[in-house]
Amino acid sequence: MNAFGPRLRAALLAGRRANVRGYGIVAPRRGDGYEFAELRAYMDGDDPRRIDWAATARAGALQTRVMLEDATLVLAAVVDGSASMHVGRTTSNYDAGCTAARMWYDAAIDDDRCARIGFGAHMFPAVRGRAAAAACAAIRDPIGTVPGDALHLALAALPRGARLLLISDFYDLTNLGDELRACANRFDLTALLAADPWRAGLPLRGFVRLRDAESSRVERLYVGAAARARYRAAVAAREKMVLTALRDVGARTAVLDAAAPEAAFAAAFGLG
Amino acid sequence: MTFARPLGLAIALVAAALFVWLYLTIERRSRAQALAYSDLAFALDALRPARWPAALILTAYACGCAVLALALGGPHFLARVPTHDGTVVLCIDTSGSMRATDLAPTRADAAKAAARAFVDAVPAGTRIGIVSFSSGANAILAPTDDRDAVHEALARIPPPDGATAIGDALAVAAQGMPSRGRRIIVLLTDGINNRGADPIAVSQNLGQHGIRIETVGVGSSGSGELIPGTSEQADLDASALETIAQNGAGRYVAASDAASLRDAFRGLAFETVWEKRRVDGSLPFALGGGALLLATLLGGFALGKFP
Repeated sequence: MNAFGPRLRAALLAGRRANVRGYGIVAPRRGDGYEFAELRAYMDGDDPRRIDWAATARAGALQTRVMLEDATLVLAAVVDGSASMHVGRTTSNYDAGCTAARMWYDAAIDDDRCARIGFGAHMFPAVRGRAAAAACAAIRDPIGTVPGDALHLALAALPRGARLLLISDFYDLTNLGDELRACANRFDLTALLAADPWRAGLPLRGFVRLRDAESSRVERLYVGAAARARYRAAVAAREKMVLTALRDVGARTAVLDAAAPEAAFAAAFGLG
Repeated sequence: MTFARPLGLAIALVAAALFVWLYLTIERRSRAQALAYSDLAFALDALRPARWPAALILTAYACGCAVLALALGGPHFLARVPTHDGTVVLCIDTSGSMRATDLAPTRADAAKAAARAFVDAVPAGTRIGIVSFSSGANAILAPTDDRDAVHEALARIPPPDGATAIGDALAVAAQGMPSRGRRIIVLLTDGINNRGADPIAVSQNLGQHGIRIETVGVGSSGSGELIPGTSEQADLDASALETIAQNGAGRYVAASDAASLRDAFRGLAFETVWEKRRVDGSLPFALGGGALLLATLLGGFALGKFP
């Protein structure tokens, strides 16, 4: 585990949302997990959903179920393997996504479970521990893996409360809305937007041939200064729109720059 | 348009087809080297790229190649080209009516000034002769391309006096003409033929021999202008001048003042030095096509590597 792993793990534990219940091995501390610890009299501030009504009826006073805190994680990652992710300047967005996924699995400790979800190449239930994390980090998705299918698989296979990392360029965001919302409700979802490799400006000027990574359609364009400026503005506007949409469904978000994947986690989790 | 070298044209067409094939091959290879982009639709929407530079350059390449191909075919076509070996004889009326002052300072002086403007406007190489006529016709200057000699001859034109022998003037002008080449007589008069040969018959004869006759009428019929020193009216037989011009395949131009007379002569100077000829367009086509291709190539590099 590198130095960033523990920080990320701590952030994942601390950042757990109240409406997402955890899964895994409990810690001996009382907390917000699934494992039952004891019953006690209701105290002001207790979550009303923790009231055990059967015990309350028997005791004649409100009784609260005290749970043990979850101290282990289920870490899962979906890296968009569609052709559009296999573009980039020096590193493709897909490779940057895999690097980010490795950092994600670096947060795992021996008791954690790890899974890598990909269309046609999923790995779950994972073996516990660092070996599983390393295995998940080493997985390469076949080209053509699309996040929609992988999210369906994640919803079907991952336990509630799993920490799910989703990395994509979100060009088909409008088709992913329902799946993203469902994942955000069920899991602790972190969605990283793979940055446009040419967000700082197209590398060529004048006559440029662009090939669509998905359809292989080639267009010859004349890119002047005005077009470059329009492009930068459009990329910035798209990033803003995608991040807003992801936040709206309840995901933690950031832009994944191929040159600095660590920065994406830092931005998403507010790590200084 | 005709082609002197049809085989050359055929070879050029084959070369053009090879060029298109080569271009398409390069295009196919270049497509593989295109910059991969995640979502082309987004890029097109974001860039809103101008399509015209590529279309313009492709069109210019195609035009350049087509013009070069035509040049190899040896194109010949009819065109109006300036002539440098024509012969023009100016027949200037010096009858007594030319003393009239309705054209400042006199018709005679206005005619000389217009003739000088004509001489200055005609390009070098055109031979010019001067014939003056009144009761008879005199060749003041045989056709020559010496401009100074022409200006001196204009200064030697005698002062206005006597009758009007238009037919004789045409005949004398024709005598000084070469037997071939572009031959033109410019007749300037303000009167009615009243001496010598019948100008209509002479003009018909000249027209049949390929001599063009342009006529310029000074003043107007029934204007009431008197010949200075006489009680005779200075009448103009415009219909006869029109007939003479038609016989000589030329035009009749009326000039009512000095400015219009000068303009008429300038116009004649321009028209008489242009002729329709079957010309060889190989060199201009080759130069034009080559220049277009070079300009397109440089333009393409200036705008960005293309194709």
